[in-house]
Amino acid sequence: MMAGPGPQPTGSAVRALGLEYRSLQEEPVEGFRVKLVNEDNLFEWEVAIFGPPDTLYQGGYFKAHMKFPADYPYSPPSIRFLTKVWHPNVYENGDLCISILHPPVDDPQSGELPCERWNPTQNVRTILLSVISLLNEPNTSSPANVDASVMYRRFKDSKGRDKEYENIIRKQVSAARLEAEKDGVVVPLTLEDYCRKPKAKAAEPPVDMTDFYVDDYDIGDDDDDLDMGDSDAGDDGDDSGNGES
Amino acid sequence: MGDATREAEPRVDGKDAQVNQDVLIMEQQRQIEEEISDAIPLVGAKEDLLGTLEKEYISDPIYSMKAKDLSSKYNSIRRTRPDGNCFFRAFAYAYFERLLTCKDDYKGFYDIVSKSKDDLIELGFPQFTLEDFYETFMEVVERIGSGDMTQDELYELFNNQGQSNYIVVYLRLITSGKLQRDADFYLNFIDGNRTMTAFCHQEVEPMFKESDHIHIIALSAALNVGVRVRYMDRGDSAQVIAHDFPEGATPAVHLLYRPGHYDILYEQ
Repeated sequence: MMAGPGPQPTGSAVRALGLEYRSLQEEPVEGFRVKLVNEDNLFEWEVAIFGPPDTLYQGGYFKAHMKFPADYPYSPPSIRFLTKVWHPNVYENGDLCISILHPPVDDPQSGELPCERWNPTQNVRTILLSVISLLNEPNTSSPANVDASVMYRRFKDSKGRDKEYENIIRKQVSAARLEAEKDGVVVPLTLEDYCRKPKAKAAEPPVDMTDFYVDDYDIGDDDDDLDMGDSDAGDDGDDSGNGES
Repeated sequence: MGDATREAEPRVDGKDAQVNQDVLIMEQQRQIEEEISDAIPLVGAKEDLLGTLEKEYISDPIYSMKAKDLSSKYNSIRRTRPDGNCFFRAFAYAYFERLLTCKDDYKGFYDIVSKSKDDLIELGFPQFTLEDFYETFMEVVERIGSGDMTQDELYELFNNQGQSNYIVVYLRLITSGKLQRDADFYLNFIDGNRTMTAFCHQEVEPMFKESDHIHIIALSAALNVGVRVRYMDRGDSAQVIAHDFPEGATPAVHLLYRPGHYDILYEQ
């Protein structure tokens, strides 16, 4: 069975994660790639987020681990960056704090601005699109990294003249680009490339979800490393992930 | 109890100051939920109303009196697990059970729910996951309609956590959809200055969030299914007061409310 403490994963969790993983392999979304940390475990994913063009994060390649709870999709996953990220909403240890991953418990900020919250229809796609948009639009009202938050505000208030924040980000982005090169990944730099849908993987036999049990699932072949592959022209109408606060 | 839990939590990188309080609360809640789920099935068997309640309230004169009053109108009760989803689960079970025998109501209900998906996508719910919940829900509805479902099978299905919870999720989404669509009206019922969307994000869509009047009004209106709730509390009246949702509707589902929880009632 699954490693780690906590309650046994439910059939719903395996089913939901299997469906999502499969769908993201077949139809990757602009801006990020996913793979399993370990082929036998659907509950831990490694994701790579590309910095959106025309932002400080352009060209960046940010790796993170996503951990899903046993009662997913009723509770949200957590995200921890493996790449160093200096950001008001990222803790020093890499843990990301974002409203969409806020556990659905009573919270004292119930009067706060309406923002995306966890509900069982949220999924990896909607989460990562929110993360991409948070990168460039930090939420400074409840910072996880106070120093970064103060620095970001100075950067914003000075209309970019105070460059301390920008310099740190740019440094981290170039370090992350080296990491991408090591991984053989080409980070999309233009908006056009970024929004292009990578070519879908060669057709694989469909997985019959009704036979999808914890003990014997099979996640396709071994070639799901995070390579971009050739880009295939073609627009898709997918959500751009804007509008997240 | 809370302190014990906190101390037991392993420190991460010596940063216990950063341990997320929400995670601790969630963990504790999870333990409580586990205890409840070991003790009470998602949906229980039908029980004799008077016998059950009299035993429960043997040393409580007010509740005993109310149990008697209730037993003049209802003869059985079916308990649901108190996991925050009890209203939705009780509603779904009671109404689906009724549809097994009451074919007249089926067509109207089917038409409403089969159209619900597009409305919800229009409201911005992610299609990919929404469809999964919708299809699971409709599969059950269609089985009921085709006569391919017995009482026992319905009972089993509602005690299968995966399917049972998917049905609850979908009803929560329908409720949220109704509240957002008719926000002008429903905003009158909520406290504070939350927007309806924020209210739905926080109080309706997440699993295990308890239901209030507003949830019941919206769901019963959205599905055009009358719900009568019998309120059993410490109030003076010897009677167990009834509220019908939506107001004036003929009840198709009868529920018993005791502070914090809903169970299913069966009429004489």
